[in-house]
Order: sequence, then structure tokens, then C-alpha cells
Amino acid sequence: MTTTMTVAAPADTTAERGGSSILRQLGVDTAYILVGFPLVVISFVLLVTGLSLGGGLLVTVIGFPILVLTLWIARGFAEVERLRIAPVLRVPRMHPIYKRAPEDAGFWRKMFTPLTDGQLWLDLVHGILIFVPGVATFCIVVTWWATAVGGLTYWAWDWALPHESVNSAGIVVDNRQLPELLGFPDTAFVRITFNLGVGLFFALTLPWVVRGCALVQAWFSRAMLTGVAQLREQITGLQVREQTAQARTAAAASAEAIALRRLERDIHDGPQQRLVRIAVDLGRAQQQLENDPDAARLTVDEALTHTREALDELRTLSRGIAPPILTDRGLPSALAALAARCTVPVELDVPEVGRSNPLAEQTAYFAAAEALTNAAKHSGATRCVVEVREWSGWLAIRVSDNGYGGAHIAKGHGLAGLADRLQACGGQLIVTSPVGGPTEIVAELPWSTVP
Amino acid sequence: MVDRPLRIVIADDAVLLREGLVRLLTEQGHRVVAAVGDGPSLVEAVLAHDPDVSIVDVRMPPSHTDEGLRAAVTARKARPGTAILVLSQYVEMSYADDLLATGPSVGYLLKDRVAAIDEFLDGLRRVAGGGTVLDPEVVAQLLVRRRARDPLAVLTAREREVLALMAEGQSNTAIARRLVVSEGAVEKHISNIFTKLDLSPDGDSNRRVLAVLTYLRS
Repeated sequence: MTTTMTVAAPADTTAERGGSSILRQLGVDTAYILVGFPLVVISFVLLVTGLSLGGGLLVTVIGFPILVLTLWIARGFAEVERLRIAPVLRVPRMHPIYKRAPEDAGFWRKMFTPLTDGQLWLDLVHGILIFVPGVATFCIVVTWWATAVGGLTYWAWDWALPHESVNSAGIVVDNRQLPELLGFPDTAFVRITFNLGVGLFFALTLPWVVRGCALVQAWFSRAMLTGVAQLREQITGLQVREQTAQARTAAAASAEAIALRRLERDIHDGPQQRLVRIAVDLGRAQQQLENDPDAARLTVDEALTHTREALDELRTLSRGIAPPILTDRGLPSALAALAARCTVPVELDVPEVGRSNPLAEQTAYFAAAEALTNAAKHSGATRCVVEVREWSGWLAIRVSDNGYGGAHIAKGHGLAGLADRLQACGGQLIVTSPVGGPTEIVAELPWSTVP
Repeated sequence: MVDRPLRIVIADDAVLLREGLVRLLTEQGHRVVAAVGDGPSLVEAVLAHDPDVSIVDVRMPPSHTDEGLRAAVTARKARPGTAILVLSQYVEMSYADDLLATGPSVGYLLKDRVAAIDEFLDGLRRVAGGGTVLDPEVVAQLLVRRRARDPLAVLTAREREVLALMAEGQSNTAIARRLVVSEGAVEKHISNIFTKLDLSPDGDSNRRVLAVLTYLRS
């Protein structure tokens, strides 16, 4: 069975603690216990009968289907109980995983599969044993309710009770009430006051007593009905976390590989070519110096131009690896410098955020850089906005433009590489770019501030 | 502008470039009184030699971040008015802001500019003489970051060129030479710019630079 656990935030138990919530909980708990009583009685009777009948008849073949039927009945009661304990324990409803025979399994296989399911047997044991707490809590709750309501309303029906010690037939009846036994005079005032006191005491303690009863029974059910499922869920959670970690490592490796490849290509196409050209030019100039000094001057001029351009390219490359201003001054200054270099006018909305670890800072910076480059190159935008927000350990950078959209993570290496980088540091990239625009790129990542 | 040979302190941890600079400046008749390789030594050298101008690299030991810049600011606090020309592989407006905040006789240039020797020496002399010199790339950063309602839109293309050169700290003569126009034409452009941007014209070229920069950064 592939039903999954409902993952929902547990109901807020601290926020609402007024009188109305106590009353509401009292209602929930009382209903749970009162409805529980007939359920546990029926379940006890059916299951004990089914178990003894099925067990006794095991030697004949007929015992197996009876046992399977009993298990299915147990499961039915268990499902009802799981539904019922959710509001009492204020947790989402749990769905344990039951074994299921393969679709193509034969009749006997299908017949035997429930018999090998541990959770079904737990359901059966629960359906029988719940009788004990179910009856006990029912007695307590009924007693408490009765005493509370009876005591509080005693003044209204005191008159209907016989109080004389000799009845109309002249027979002595020793009709003594508790206050009388305690030595108080047997007057209406004493009886009413006494019963009112008792009623008050029971009424005031009622919510807690009922809550306690409901919790005892619900905990018992939870342990037997969802304990195994919870354990399994925890294990699955661990596996998911491990998979996420693996995905992050893979993303980091992929991002790094892409970045290195790009860097190699950029060095090869840029500064390396220039330096070769400069070497050639200087070699030529050396020869020209003797025969044709004017030509030599021109050649050296050219070499100088290439030198300047090589330096420019190297600078751009270094900025692409680790921008010095980011290292020196942090994200806001680096973003300001980035915006100043962008060919499209950029509006900045960047509060002072603290310094974080280098990986987070670089990832945040490159998210903005890549988004701005995209906007300037492909979007036809005439205006960009860069916004930064920081909240409880997270940082979000939003780059929006007024271009004609159509940006996609899968398209170029740029955004795909960026998505990898963000995943590698535990963040995510959200690209909203309908055809026709506008484009909005949001990068969110963990941001732990360091002094 | 100073025409006499200058006494210069050089601070750069890259020995190759430091030696190149020493050689270049010595060949041009200037005197390098100290060549150091980190921030604290720069402050000491400035205090010990009281140079006409110091040439400082931004990234230096011990921190290998903006050490040179901070040392320059410290040196100028310790000895107000000492001229400093900062050289860097990168120029960023936010670094320039720190320098400009300490008053005039500062310069901030890309290291590449040294290759254009005449312009570099000219800039050096202007800084030593109390001027302000800014790298064209910094100025470009200032000019590019304009909002939708761009006040610079009212300027003509030529006026923008003149404004950029003014922001770099160039004199009227230098601007005229660079744009191949007469000095009178430059003066006319400048007065137009000041009128259009609603700035008060000022004879002192350094205060003029600062006024333009303040305007651009606001």
C-alpha cells in the first residue's frame, strides 16, 4: 500500500488557551470516551469470537478465512480509532502501511498475505485489549460527569427525594445521606450546600480528569496502531535527507565542473590568445627596430593595446571567480558595484545584511550577477530591480526586469548552473518568466550571519 | 600641478610591479624614498619621509583585502593632506568613496593606466599638487547607474563627455586636448552643464571635481 503520511503542522496548542478552548477540548475528549465505550465492547466481542473461532478451526481449512475476516474487522476498528485519536492528541491522522499481495498473486497467496502483516495483528491485539482502558475510562468519565451535573443541579430536585426516616406505611427506613453520616444535621440547606460543593469540585476537575482519561486511551491506541508506522516514517525521513544530501553534493560537483569548463574556455579564448599575440608583436618589433623604427613603434603600440585588453579580460574573469569587493566589503557593496557595471539601469533595494560564509555570499552574488547578465543580454529589458531580504537564517534575492521573458532553467548553461550552485548550498532558484515577460528570478539560500 | 621632481613612497607587495614602478619613476627624474610591501609599513614610511605623493596598492598583506586603502586612510588621518595615489587591479566606486571622504589630493587608478606613462605621470603630479584623479572606469560606473528619470538625459553627448572628464579630475586644458576642441569651447560646455544640472560654477578645479562627483553619487 502506498498511502503516505499526512505531513501537516501540528495544531497550535499554545496559541489558543482560553476558556472556550478548554470547553471545546472537554467536548472532544468526552465524545471520544463515550463513543469509545460501545466501540470497544463490540470490537472486543467480535474479535475474541473471531479469533477463537478461527484459531479453533485452523486444523480445518475454514479457520483461515475466518481469521482473515477477523483481521479485516480489526483493521476497520483500527482505522476508526486512528481517525478518533487525531483531535484528542492534536496530531495529523496517521496512515500505516499495510502489506498487499501482488496483483497477479494466486488465491492462497492473497489469502495468506494479511496473516503475515504485523500491523494487522497489532490491530487485532489492540481491538481486544482496548476493552480494558476503554471500560475503565468510560466508568470514570461517566461518574465524573454525573457527579458534577448531579451536584450542581441538586438544589432543583432535592424536594423529590424522600427524607423522612419513617415512610408512609409506618416502616422505619434508615435513609441516611453522606452529610448526615458525617454528623451534619439533615436539613435541606446542608444537603444542598454539601452537594453543591461536591458538584463544584467535580465540575472544576472535570476537564482535567476527562483529558487524562482520553489521553491514556489515545496513547494506548497510538502506541499500538501507529507506533510502527511512525518508526517507518522516521526511517524514510532519514533516507530522504540522505538523498537530498547526495543530490546537493552532485549539484555542487556539477556546478563546479561547469564553472571550471567555462573558465578554461574563457582563459583560452581571451587572455591566452592576447598574450600570444603580444609575444608575436614584440618579436616583430624587435626585428623592426633596426630597419624600420616607425613600424616598430606602431607594433609596440598594438602590443600595448593588446596588453590592456588582456588585463581587462583577466579582471572580468577574476570577478567571475571571486569578486574582490565581495570578499572585502560584503554583499550590499558588491551588488552596488555589480549594478553600476550593468548596461541596463538597475534599481537596488538592498538593506544592510551581515557577512555570511564565503559560499553563501558568492552564491547570492552570482545569482544576482547571472540574472542581471541574462536580463541585459537576452531579455530586451530597459530596467531591472534587485531586491534583497533577510529573515531568520535565510536570504532571498529577487531580480526582476521589464523584458519579454521566456527565460528557462533548462535553456542556457547560465541558469542551470545557477540552480546547481543554489542547490549545492541548500537553497533554491525560482524562475518565473512567461513568454512576453516580465521575468522574475528569485534565489533563496540559508544565510547564517558571522561576526 | 607640480613640475619639480617628486619624492615618492611606493607600497605594493608585488615585487615585480614595485621594481617596475621604481625604475619608471627614477627614469623620469623622480626620487623613490621608500618602497614597502604592506599597510603598516606604508603608514610608517609616510610619517618618516613626508613624501610629495605615495603610490599605494589596494590589496596587500597582512589581510590581503583592502589593506592599502585602509592604510592610506590611516596615513591621511595621521598626516592630513598627504597626497596618495591608489592603484588597483580593480576599481570600485565604494573604494573611491572611502578615499574621497578624506579630502583632496587623492587619486584612484587602475594599474593598467601606468602603461600610458605620460598620462600616469600627469595624474601623479596633479595628485601631488592637491588635485583629485579618478579612473575613467569609476566615472563610467557613476554615469551608467541612472534611474528612469535620468537628470543627465538633458545633456548632449558632448556635454556628457566633458562631464566624465571633469569627474576624472581633468583640467580644462586637458579636456580640450583630449576632445580636440578649443579651451573656450570646453568652458562653454562646462557652463552649460552647470546651468542644466543646477550646480554653482566654481573656479577651483578640485572643488569643481568634488561638486560633480557629489552630484553624480547622489
